[in-house]
Amino acid sequence: MSKIIACYKWVADEADIKINPDLTVDLKKAKGKISDYDRNAIEAAVQAAGSLGGKAVSLTFGNASAKQSLKDALSRGPEEGYWINAEEAATADGSITAKALAAAINKIGDYSLIICAEGASDTYARQTAPRIGAALNLPVITSVVQMTFNGNSLTAVRKLEDSTETVQTELPAVVAILPEANEPTIPGLKAVMAAGKKPVTEYTAADLGIDFTPKNQVTAVKGYVMNRKNIIFNEGSTADQVKALAAALRKECVL
Amino acid sequence: MAGVYIYSDRMDLAAELVGFVKENQNSAQVLCFTQAEADQLTSIGADKVCYLQGDSPLVENYGQAIAEYLKQANAELFVVGATARGRDLAARVAGYLDCAMVSDASSLSLESGKLRAERMMYGGAVVQSEEITGLCVVTVAAGKYQPVTGSASVETVQVTADNRVKLLETAPIVKEGVDLRQACNVVCVGLGLEKEEDLKIARDLAAAIDAELGCTRGVAEERHWLPVEQYIGISGAIIKPQLYISMGVSGQVQHVFGVRDAKVIVAIDSNEKAPIFRSADFGIVGDMYEIVPLLTQAIKG
Repeated sequence: MSKIIACYKWVADEADIKINPDLTVDLKKAKGKISDYDRNAIEAAVQAAGSLGGKAVSLTFGNASAKQSLKDALSRGPEEGYWINAEEAATADGSITAKALAAAINKIGDYSLIICAEGASDTYARQTAPRIGAALNLPVITSVVQMTFNGNSLTAVRKLEDSTETVQTELPAVVAILPEANEPTIPGLKAVMAAGKKPVTEYTAADLGIDFTPKNQVTAVKGYVMNRKNIIFNEGSTADQVKALAAALRKECVL
Repeated sequence: MAGVYIYSDRMDLAAELVGFVKENQNSAQVLCFTQAEADQLTSIGADKVCYLQGDSPLVENYGQAIAEYLKQANAELFVVGATARGRDLAARVAGYLDCAMVSDASSLSLESGKLRAERMMYGGAVVQSEEITGLCVVTVAAGKYQPVTGSASVETVQVTADNRVKLLETAPIVKEGVDLRQACNVVCVGLGLEKEEDLKIARDLAAAIDAELGCTRGVAEERHWLPVEQYIGISGAIIKPQLYISMGVSGQVQHVFGVRDAKVIVAIDSNEKAPIFRSADFGIVGDMYEIVPLLTQAIKG
């Protein structure tokens, strides 16, 4: 049965990121999560499998920590999981990520559709879908909010800044969907239990036969500090606080 | 012709990008796909306008054609305006060239063949610096560089489009909301607002300070209380008002990214530990249902 492959990334939850006083970034306490918009990609694959026919599967490129993501992804509906387990994922740039995913997609074989989100919640670089398309030389449709299938043909509605576009292509194809495309299902207990029994295929870096040397050399990673006044009005009654705020805004000439 | 190549589907942004290249004394070649664009681009100070003539109405379909063109031209850098179409096209070109790409660079410099770039990570909490040697594709958002003037000649080149994706229909988006990017003042509501009808207190404050109403992603996408055009954040509207007042907004990094260029940031929220207070100039910790109407009165009076 032809596969619909949802690509996702296991990322550090930005809510847990600590910026030290010297602006170094501490990710040690950050929990992992499936990148927010990738949940929409997984949901889109499950929905597409329903209307197009075929089997929704999930694919991730991550290091050992991404193991935790497999059950999470599968509880959202895909029937099988694929994991490129490679330490190189931690330093991968857009080029390597797309080539690793493309190489795995070739190994998975027999696919009709590859679904990505527009961007990951850590890098938000929005390169993966178009680059996978280039690596596999497949048609690509980005900014997708709606998909309909007719035989082997995909009609998609794209949402750009000032217009919507309806486009059509023949499968197989790569799409990048916007979060507005769907509402991801929150997995119930049954789905979580079932996820543990679903098959997972693991690839290693060596299986893929690609060069993992990043082209983008990261020279520094620093916390961003917004220099703001951080004045909290907490003296007196609420009315006093509001008066003080209004006075401060007048002084700043923004009222 | 070596040098820097530029493309944007927004003509004003293409002009800003030429401004960036000229700041660095490089040669700037601007790509375009219609005669009308070519005509507009001759006066923005580029060294050359390259009109790539093919048969697709979708510029994304020229990804491979541009990659081949840049390779032949021995380009050093391809700078693309960061719009939905631009980002897509840029990543395809980088994919076909199998080269590096920096998405939405917040700062850029090109010195003796080495590109240094900074970009935001984790919704704006972290700045990553990168160095790239060799051909690279970069996307840059509007508003970073000053356009220049100067005339250029047009060179027409025949290119082949990848027509596997066909355009069936295009329709303008009728904006339900306002254009927050142009707003001088913005009042923003977050998930701390309990009921849709409570938007009234925000609207009253907005009316008092002549502000537009914005919201966080959850208010637009989960609760559907305001149109999606009105949510502020890294994936929504990125705004730069004089005054931004948030109410019931926790201040997740993705949201704060969208307001970091505001002149003054005010936060009103009941949770004193909410991250929004760290990003604010002024704040009041308390019940917004009490504070906001008082503030509206104080401003009116």
